[in-house]
Amino acid sequence: MLKIEDYKVVFASVGLIGVLLFASSTLGLVLRLPGGERFSELWVLGPGHMAEDYPFNVKADVSYLVYVGVGNHMGSSAYYVVYVKFRNQSEALPNATAGTPSPLNATAEYRIFLQGGESWEAPLTFSFLGNQSLIQSLIVNNVEFAVNKTALWDGENNGYYYQLFMELWIYNVEFQAFEFHNRFVGLWLNMTGV
Amino acid sequence: MKGLCGRFVKAPLLFLLIIMVFSLSLTRLPFCVSAGDEASSAIGEADDALRRAFEAVLEAERAGANVSDLIVKLDEAGGLLAEAENAYRVGNFSEAVSRAEGCSILANGVVGEALSLQNMALADAQTAFWQNLTFSCFGGAAFLVVLFFVWGWFKRVYAQRMLSMKPEVASDVED
Repeated sequence: MLKIEDYKVVFASVGLIGVLLFASSTLGLVLRLPGGERFSELWVLGPGHMAEDYPFNVKADVSYLVYVGVGNHMGSSAYYVVYVKFRNQSEALPNATAGTPSPLNATAEYRIFLQGGESWEAPLTFSFLGNQSLIQSLIVNNVEFAVNKTALWDGENNGYYYQLFMELWIYNVEFQAFEFHNRFVGLWLNMTGV
Repeated sequence: MKGLCGRFVKAPLLFLLIIMVFSLSLTRLPFCVSAGDEASSAIGEADDALRRAFEAVLEAERAGANVSDLIVKLDEAGGLLAEAENAYRVGNFSEAVSRAEGCSILANGVVGEALSLQNMALADAQTAFWQNLTFSCFGGAAFLVVLFFVWGWFKRVYAQRMLSMKPEVASDVED
């Protein structure tokens, strides 16, 4: 049989647990526990909403369709901008190591607001005007943008290559400015068959 | 004499005409520039309005408000701003101004709604806090009082049980 002092400890423990249980509803409002890892997703899918059948061998005056998507796992609402950029092989891509965007000007853009845990996806149609070594215009979602990009023959891969890529930027409330979110996806486009 | 007078009248008229044509040619360039400036300014204002609106919505969300409807409106305004930027890039300034103004109107509306939602959420949060605090204090205190009485009853029962026990004498093993 336990001694009275042992029962006293049991009663004190029950009392403490009970008080904590009653206080938990208030503590839940006051204490903020750290959430999980915060990140955003950026993706591009083929015309069938799958990671396949991406346009690669492309021709002028033909329209191509892909889907661009963004996922918000930042734990709160976020304001994103997706910049659509177009480059030839000699122009710079974003630097993922340094976290810097491509210095190229955006051709088109999407502005997206997402609550935490939500995702967004939109079609991106594009076509070209020009020939294999000179793309004069890029038509994105039926808006024609003058690009005037030239490409040199790539002897290693036997073709004239361009890249359509998307950069994800996020609005930083603290600094009241957009910053590159170090996410980008791109499509290599072989214009040799123009 | 008549020809001389005619010449004196025509010369200033010709001069005036040249000045007018020249000034019109000068005003044409600023007109093009001002269309671009107007579009740029409208886009800048829309961008500012959208940022302010987002910050207000974020504050409301942090206060605990349900901002789903406001996010939908912001998304709509963001779409208009993106269209305005795209139109500006291709030199379609009138469309850029129109879209940017649409964006500003939507964004400014969102700011007001976000502030009112934030105030409501803060009031609700305060009420919920006081209710929870009251429940915690009174509930915890009542629990401790009940536990104290139970402890008193338990001590009495324990003491009675101890008193009712018969003493046992152990026999000496060595004997």
